Amino acid sequence: MIDAKYKMGGFIALAMLLAVSPLFLNAYWVDVLNSVGLYALLALSLNVILGDAGLYNMGHAAFFAVGAYTAAYLNTQFGVPILWALPISGISAGLFGVVLARPVIHLRGDYLLIVTVGVGEIIRIALINNVFGVTGGPNGIFGIARPELFGFRIRRPQEFFYLIWGFVAVTVFLFARLKNSRFGRALDCLREDPVAAEGSGINTGRYQLLAFMVGAAWAGMAGCLYASKMTIISPESFSFWESVLIFIIVILGGAGNIAGVILGTFLIIGLPELFRGFASARMWFFGLAMMIMMIFRTEGILPHRPRIFKNLDRLLP
Amino acid sequence: MPLRRRPASLRPPPGNLAGSLAGGLLCSGPPVYVPGKRKMEEFFQQLTNGLAVGCIYALIALGYTMVYGVLKLINFAHGDLFTLGAYLGLTLLTSLGLSGRLGPLLGLLLLAVLVMGFVALTGALLERAAYRPLRQSPRLSAVVSALGASIFLQNTIMLIYGARIHVYPQDILPKVALEIGGVSIPLVRILVFVVSLLLMGALFLFIQRTRLGTAIRAAAIDQAAARLMGINVDQVILIVFLIGPGLGGVAGLLVGLYYGQVNFTMGWVYGLKAFTAAILGGIGNIPGAMVGGLILGVIEALGAAYISVAWKDAIAFLVLIVILIVRPTGILGERVADKV
Amino acid sequence: MKKAFVLGLTLVLAMAGAGLCLAAEPIKIGLMAPVTGSWASEGEDMKNIVNLLAEEVNAQGGLLGQKVAVVLEDDAGDPRTASLAAQRLATQGVKAVIGTYGSSVTEASQSIYDESSILQVANGSTAIRLTEKGLKYFFRTCPRDDEQGRVASQTIRQMGFKKVAILHDNTSYAKGLADEGNALLKKDGVKIVFFDALTPGERDFTAILTKMKAAKPDAVFFTGYFPELGLILRQKKEMNWPVPFIGGDATNNPDLVKIAGKVAAEGYYFLSPPVPQDLPFEKTKAFLKAYTAKHGAAPGSIWAVLAGDGFLTVVEAIKATQSTDPEKLAAFLHSGQQKISGLTGEISFNAKGDRVGEVYRVYRVDADGNFVLQDK
Repeated sequence: MIDAKYKMGGFIALAMLLAVSPLFLNAYWVDVLNSVGLYALLALSLNVILGDAGLYNMGHAAFFAVGAYTAAYLNTQFGVPILWALPISGISAGLFGVVLARPVIHLRGDYLLIVTVGVGEIIRIALINNVFGVTGGPNGIFGIARPELFGFRIRRPQEFFYLIWGFVAVTVFLFARLKNSRFGRALDCLREDPVAAEGSGINTGRYQLLAFMVGAAWAGMAGCLYASKMTIISPESFSFWESVLIFIIVILGGAGNIAGVILGTFLIIGLPELFRGFASARMWFFGLAMMIMMIFRTEGILPHRPRIFKNLDRLLP
Repeated sequence: MPLRRRPASLRPPPGNLAGSLAGGLLCSGPPVYVPGKRKMEEFFQQLTNGLAVGCIYALIALGYTMVYGVLKLINFAHGDLFTLGAYLGLTLLTSLGLSGRLGPLLGLLLLAVLVMGFVALTGALLERAAYRPLRQSPRLSAVVSALGASIFLQNTIMLIYGARIHVYPQDILPKVALEIGGVSIPLVRILVFVVSLLLMGALFLFIQRTRLGTAIRAAAIDQAAARLMGINVDQVILIVFLIGPGLGGVAGLLVGLYYGQVNFTMGWVYGLKAFTAAILGGIGNIPGAMVGGLILGVIEALGAAYISVAWKDAIAFLVLIVILIVRPTGILGERVADKV
Repeated sequence: MKKAFVLGLTLVLAMAGAGLCLAAEPIKIGLMAPVTGSWASEGEDMKNIVNLLAEEVNAQGGLLGQKVAVVLEDDAGDPRTASLAAQRLATQGVKAVIGTYGSSVTEASQSIYDESSILQVANGSTAIRLTEKGLKYFFRTCPRDDEQGRVASQTIRQMGFKKVAILHDNTSYAKGLADEGNALLKKDGVKIVFFDALTPGERDFTAILTKMKAAKPDAVFFTGYFPELGLILRQKKEMNWPVPFIGGDATNNPDLVKIAGKVAAEGYYFLSPPVPQDLPFEKTKAFLKAYTAKHGAAPGSIWAVLAGDGFLTVVEAIKATQSTDPEKLAAFLHSGQQKISGLTGEISFNAKGDRVGEVYRVYRVDADGNFVLQDK
């Protein structure tokens, strides 16, 4: 296995390459990277729910939507600046996640899956039908402001690049810390064997709810960034297909593995752009590529590796 | 303590919930308590509308549930196999001119058999290519492969047939309608209903009464033990992937014949609804898929009629969620033992 | 696996570099269309028409002595993909972009083209607010929803209907038109007995039809798209409910009669810019003949023909100003000093970028499934 030192070095090199890329890529490719960044945030947030806690969630776009619409509404109706709306979107999405998960958390795998699909659809239909009169119906909400940092307005793709990927870097750092914390270990345990986890005194229900809350909150914040990047949001961007896409990214990249998830995002979002040359056959190649990738790397591209505690070596024969 | 464990005495009694639910839906009148022939007629009309749609959902749901029962895999490509059936039916109908030659009934029968066969073969091929390599892998990997297969199939159909809507020839079936008690039911709809019921009944008998059916049920309960009993599990999986997609293909043909219009994205919505129906009835449970399909169709129709058309799908999902909260393994429950 | 990733990234960078190095010899005009996705049929027609027109222009000597090249990008009928497509076109040195079909899809690309000072001529996006933002470089060859709403309610009143049901499909366009119609009809004293939305992509509308029937309308105003309408007309016939239907321009498509069947489609009224076959211009007839010769059938969609008009707009503007400077082109088009001869008649634009002229006419489907133009 590759030595941990070299692995870390490799990641840092790649990160630095990514950091300077806007300087020599044109606006289109920077925008592709922006798209990758937003989806990476969504995938990382779903990873907490799906990869770490092992809860099947195929309605993640609902949290994305709640965050985006919260930010859009606050910004267009009350003039709340985007960067102030960011934590509020996170909180509202997180709360929504808890309220949603509470009654259904005990459902078994595939049943939870269909419930999350159902919630995603209910949210989308509610948005289209202008629920509470605030969502703008099929037109959505437009005229969302750009983020302002100390008077500097973030407008061009290159500027958004640093905002989005900066946020991704913070997320990666926080989630890595989370994995190594008590919370992360508890999630690992209850994902692998809920009965043993209960037996060890872990309140599985509570941890699962917390996982939902964290994942939902992060998706909400990604929604806020998305809203200010696009300046218009409409229900079409939050369809079932989006949830499916994020789901695919997490599983294909390697559920539970942060680096894998980011790599998966690059592949799933980048490939259709690379395939533009194929015109109408673009998605055909994409479907084929997806099947092939899954067959050749069945655990995901960078599979989740179980924790190995160093001192255990001494105990093993 | 986990959040929601209720003691055994308080859990709902197994088995008859489906019956009571169905009975409740059928016997309950419209929420507006104004008795009157008009309202009752409208209600029954909507009910038949819902049942007709539900039949199609049920047929497709059977494919999902059979595959799930044996492989624990949600075959997302199933909706596209349904689309394939619809398009194949169109091609065979127009190119072979089946509508002209043999009598309508015989011609249709032949068409159904051909479509079923071809889609079944495609299903078996799909299993070979996309799912067999992933048998020993985590379940969700196979789901992603299924999603990839779904995109692949859908776009294959688009590339072959083009993106425009295709229309079935109109003059195959007579356009008569029956009037029963003020409720108008077109003949074709009755045909769809009858064919669906026959197929479902045949499948039910097959699963319950034949040896192969028993083998399928055994493999669904525990693959390893079934293997130990001498059941050729690979053969069972092959059969399941022939029957399930076959039924889906026939459903596609029926949709094409009845509604007349097919396009390459039709599998997505139908697939999702059918999957919902399968879960509603209890995934892995074959009678459950039938019941789930019919109930979903009725809920949609009644939701559209009495609450709002635009919210109809949201209402259907809401009912699903409520049912699952009350009965976590679906209406008829699961016939698969849980890993302890 | 890391190796593959590095390789992939290198590939990405190499392609970007190649993109930057491409020398822009011909005059590039972009076409943003839904080549994949649920509106792929529109995209296909748009692509075919614009490509054929470009061939004709090149055959006649090109533009300003150079060849015209059409750069196609797929927007997949989805705002997110559209913004990426717009970015891509903006970095490829196109002078103008034609497109696109869906209003929210066009909207997602507007600011990108505006910031890059690229002319944009939309062909199918009828939402009112697209030209209310003061975007200098944005034009459209299609009419606006408020005009259609006006003509619709006028027509309904003229036909003497007192109780009307309105059905839309919750897309931006359909809801906009439905709201317009609703407001105008109510103002004129017509009673709206039903106002709801169907779900696009579905097949079974018997539940909705039964519910509408119970509301007893004199007529139904349908503002959605032709696939759903075809099924509705067919199912309405099977229910034996003879209520007249009046529809918006998104129902204008020859496939409508195919889907509904001639018997069910007869007597259906709809509003639309005149279909190409009804245009008396020699130019249009010749073009349609050439198109049918090449592709086997006439274009299915009037919106794709309007994309052709968008292309002709750009070409004529470049010829008239003898330059490809977006400022000059926009000024020329806004001034309206010279009317452009397009496939759907004369084209000129007002200060907002909307097409001038009353475009909407009433059509009726006859017993043979033909679309018959009605007198005003």
